[in-house]
Parts: sequence; C-alpha cells; structure tokens
Amino acid sequence: MSTGESDSSGRLLRSIVPPAQVERLFDFCDTHAWKLLLAIVIVGALPPLLGLRQGYYMTVISEMYIFAILALSWDIVGGQTGYPSFGNMVFFGIGGYTTAILVKNFSIAFPVAMVAAGLLAVAFAAVIGAAVLRLRGHYFAIATLGVLLAAQQVSRIIGITGGASGKILLDVPQGTVFYYLFFGVLVAEMAVVYYLSNTRFGFILNAIRDDEEKATAMGFNTAYHKTAAWMLAALFTGLAGGGYSLFNTFLNPQTAYNSAWNVELIAMALLGGSGTVAGPVIGAFGLHGVIEYVETAFVGWQLVILGIVVVVTVIRFPEGIVGTLKEYAGEMEYYKRGGMAAVENDDEVTNDE
Amino acid sequence: MAFTQFVVNGLLIGAIFAGVAVGFALIWGVVNIINLAHGDMVMLGGYTSYWALSLITGNAEGSPLLFLATIPIAIAVLYVVGYVLQRTLVSRVIGTDIFLTLLVTFGISIAIQQLAIQAWSANPRSIQVSFADPSINAAGLVIPKMKLVAFVGSLVLTAALYLFLQRTRTGRAIRAVSQNPEAAELVGIDVEHSRAVTFGISSAIAGGVGAFIATILNIQPQMGLIYTLKSFVIVVFGGVGSIPGALVGGLLLGTVEELTAGFVSSQWTLAVSFTLLIVLLVVKPNGLFGQEAER
Repeated sequence: MSTGESDSSGRLLRSIVPPAQVERLFDFCDTHAWKLLLAIVIVGALPPLLGLRQGYYMTVISEMYIFAILALSWDIVGGQTGYPSFGNMVFFGIGGYTTAILVKNFSIAFPVAMVAAGLLAVAFAAVIGAAVLRLRGHYFAIATLGVLLAAQQVSRIIGITGGASGKILLDVPQGTVFYYLFFGVLVAEMAVVYYLSNTRFGFILNAIRDDEEKATAMGFNTAYHKTAAWMLAALFTGLAGGGYSLFNTFLNPQTAYNSAWNVELIAMALLGGSGTVAGPVIGAFGLHGVIEYVETAFVGWQLVILGIVVVVTVIRFPEGIVGTLKEYAGEMEYYKRGGMAAVENDDEVTNDE
Repeated sequence: MAFTQFVVNGLLIGAIFAGVAVGFALIWGVVNIINLAHGDMVMLGGYTSYWALSLITGNAEGSPLLFLATIPIAIAVLYVVGYVLQRTLVSRVIGTDIFLTLLVTFGISIAIQQLAIQAWSANPRSIQVSFADPSINAAGLVIPKMKLVAFVGSLVLTAALYLFLQRTRTGRAIRAVSQNPEAAELVGIDVEHSRAVTFGISSAIAGGVGAFIATILNIQPQMGLIYTLKSFVIVVFGGVGSIPGALVGGLLLGTVEELTAGFVSSQWTLAVSFTLLIVLLVVKPNGLFGQEAER
C-alpha cells in the first residue's frame, strides 16, 4: 500500500521481500497452476488419512471449504463479470432444502439428492437471472437481496420446508464423507474457474465487467454469457448448500438463507482479491479462521468484527490480498520500462502503442 | 367495509414508511449512495427515544407530551451519528465503484446492529404512551390513536425536510450538490460538508420516525434491514431523489402491504413487496416521478 505507510517500513519490506520475488512467485503460479492444484489435492486429502476423522478441527476445516466454495462462486459473477450479487445465499438455501426434503420426505439416496440440489439451483438461477441480470449497479444488488429475503420468507410459510422450526436430519453420513465432498467440490470449482479464466468465455466475462456496452457492440451475446456465469455460480453454491443441510443435521430458514454468511462470502472474496482464482479461497480460509477464533474467544462479537473487517477492507484494501500483492509485484515493471523517463521519450511511447 | 379499513391502515403505516424512505431517497439523490445502514438509523432513533423516556420516568411509559419531547433528542442524536458516519467512513468511498459503497454501508449496518444487540440484547421493546387506549371509532373505522399520531408526525417530518431543502440556504446548497458537485464547488459550496449534512438530516428524519415506530410496533436491533429494503422499493417506485415520489410510494407500499395482510395473510407481505420491486425494476426502472436516472 502506498498510502499512509511510512517510507522506512516500506523500504524494510522491500529489502526483505523484493517485488521481483513476488513477481517470480506469480509467474511460477501461472506456469505451474495445474501442478499446484494437484499438490493441493494431495495435501487436502491427507488429514483424514492421518487420523483426523471427527471433532472440532474437522468441522472447522469442512466449513472453510464451504466458505471457499461460496466465495469463489460469488466471484464468478461478482468479481469476474462485474455483477456484485447480494443474494447468493438463495442458491445455498435452495440446495440445502432440496437435499433435506428429498432425503427426509422421499428417502432418496444422498448422492442423487445432491445432484438434484445442484440442478434445481441452476434452474432457479436461469429463471431469476432472466429478470435480475437486466439490471445494473445498485438495482442489481438490491434486487438480488430482495430475492434472498423473499425466498427466506417463502420457506418460512410453506409446509414442506418445515416452516420456521426447520428440518432435523438424523440419519447422515459421517464427517469424512462431507470433508471429501466439500473438498472435491472446491477443487472442481477451482479447476473450472481457472480453466475458464484462460478461455474465450472467461475473457468475455471480464469484458462485460470492464465495459458491457463495448462488449455488446463487439458482437458478444452478453445476456447469454452473464446468465451462464450466474448459473455456474448457482451450481456450485447449490451443491455446497445441498451438502451443508446434512452436514449440519439441521436446516431452518435462518441457517439456509443465512444473512451473515451472505455478507461473509462477499467480504472473503473481496479480502482475498476478487477477480482471481486464489483470492476468494485465501480470503475464505483467512476470514473464517479469524471469525472462528473470535467466536470461541469473545462469544457474540464475531459479527461486530465481521462488520468492521468489511468496512476496513473496502476502505483500505479494495484490491484484496492477491490484488495488492500483484500491484506490489508490478512495481518493477514500471522501472524496467524506464519509469517517467519513458513517458517523456516520445519514441518509446509510440513503440509501445 | 373491511376494504376501507385495510386501506386506512395502509395509509397510516405507509406514512411511516415514507418518512423513512425520504432520507434514503435524499442520500441516493445527493450523494449517489445506497445507504444500507439507513434502517439502522430508524432503529437507533427508536432506542434513543426509548432510553430518554426510561431515564425520565423510570420505565418506558409516559404521557404523550413527554414522549413527543423525546423526539427532538432522537433527531439531534441521529443527526450527529449520520454526519460523523459520512465524514469518517462513507466519504472515503464516494466516487469509487458502486459496489464498494454498498459494501461499506452494509458493513456499517452490521456493526451497528451487532453492537446494539451486545448493548441492549435482542429482545423487542416498545414505548407505552398513556392515552393510547381506547382507539378512535369513526364511521365504522377503527383508528388507534398512536397510529394517528405517528402518521401526522411522519408527515410533519417529511414536510419539514421538503421545506428545508426548498427554502433554506443549506437546503439549496444540498440541491446544488446533487445536480452538479463540481459546479457547486466552483460557486463556493463546501461539497463535503453539504454531503455530510445530507447524511445527518436524512438519518435524523429516520431517527424521528423510528421513535414513532417504537410506540406503535416493536423496536429490536435487527429491524433495520427490512426498513432499508422497503425504502428501496419506495424510492424505486417514486423515483430517485424525489421527496413527493417517496411520499406517494410510501403510502402505496403501505396500502399494498395492508391489503395483502388483510385478504391473504400477514406472512406474505414481504414476498409481495419484493415481487413488486422486481416487476417494477424490470418494467419501469425510473419510477413514477423520477427523471431519467442512470442505471
């Protein structure tokens, strides 16, 4: 951060971690992304094999995976496409209620119910997207928040969801199943998002974020791309919700359409660095760790902390951890090209263009 | 007869919604910010009046005049809260991405709401005013006295805001800033101060209405978001920055909600309001009274 930091501490930071090193790290991550993902799969698969099968840490890590899925899903539409949704939890709730109802009321096998949860969330996204994705800015944000609250209200009224008292699910698989389930969904999502970020599809999403009129003028079907991204986000959010209802063994309108989580997942994506693959995941692990710690150390204050974290992040680091690091790494680029001297030199500028 | 009764109920409650929404509309119009913490100002206003009354009488009961005397306190406190919030936090994100402004006000909203829970617990509270019973019976209609007082009070606050903007020098400065901040700065208006005053008076009006809400409904720390969203529906309906629009929108929303509650069930009011919102946004995004708004 260039603002507010004193010069001496900045110099110290530069001598310990020079921007060139950070840049090399980013280059390394770019070239070896698939290998890194494989390494993550191996490391992530280890804990249960090494004996961590249940208990507090198992639950916390599984929850971190859930949040990473939610934050990354939000980022597909919010960070990559530039449509910041304030109602992503609606897909989570729909997924959660789908598995809860199918498993409990219709005795359908859990894996089948999971698939149904994902598909139903996608179908809902297609219908609701047709209306809300026509809106922009404030209007889109509030309309999605309205959808979330309306869905919560409806689940409180109708009978099959168990109303306000919710649904209790007793016959559930053991903890390791959920650990691998959420981990698998997360890895799959990271792979999909990373793959898409280097395809034409991903570039069009970014073009919509940067200038939607221009993207339309260039002949891209923006409505199709926006809706597809929205449905993709709904798929993963719905799957996470579908797993969560049985993982938590209980679901009511408050937990299914959890309004605190709704903000948490946005804060995570933003804190980590929206518009990147690693950012939301890092943000989810970090922020959930902090909130989990506050929850045990100062009961009841976790949401106060959440609010403060959101405000401070937005004011001080709107680019997030990954974004700020990238900026830091890019500092050297400026000097390599000759700094201000390059701008004064007319030839250089015309060569660049 | 039931129909008339529901409409009357709707207009009574609708004026309160309008009183909350005018400030929201003003901030949106002048500062170009959706203040997601606006509903929390209503909550804080209700609590200020509640605690002021408790301090005087020992419990939250009192004569109507004593209650009315607490309203200026709520207004003054909330003016300061709004002014300080704008000066310290919100002003830092003005002119950046819309999404960041939304998130900052959302973060403020959560922090206020959770601090309120820590300080005053999540139990609903209400102010008891001694002359509230019995209700007025006129031409077969039942009109609770306090609802009538709240109705008149909200209208007075709304009208006061309107006159302030039209007649006073500060009000004109605020309108100038809403039309063109650069030009306003050129003619010597302190733009930052005007924006902070806008935040202050909007919060103050919301706080005053919040005190009335404490006498006819409940107040509790998590009530804010619903009022923010209702304000949004109303402003979308009436048009951004338009005070008459917000008034009409509020009365309409109140009527629609009471009719839904009366003929279907009170559980469906929220779902109906938001369905209405989405339909409105898609069909008529500039509202009834709005100028061509940027989308």
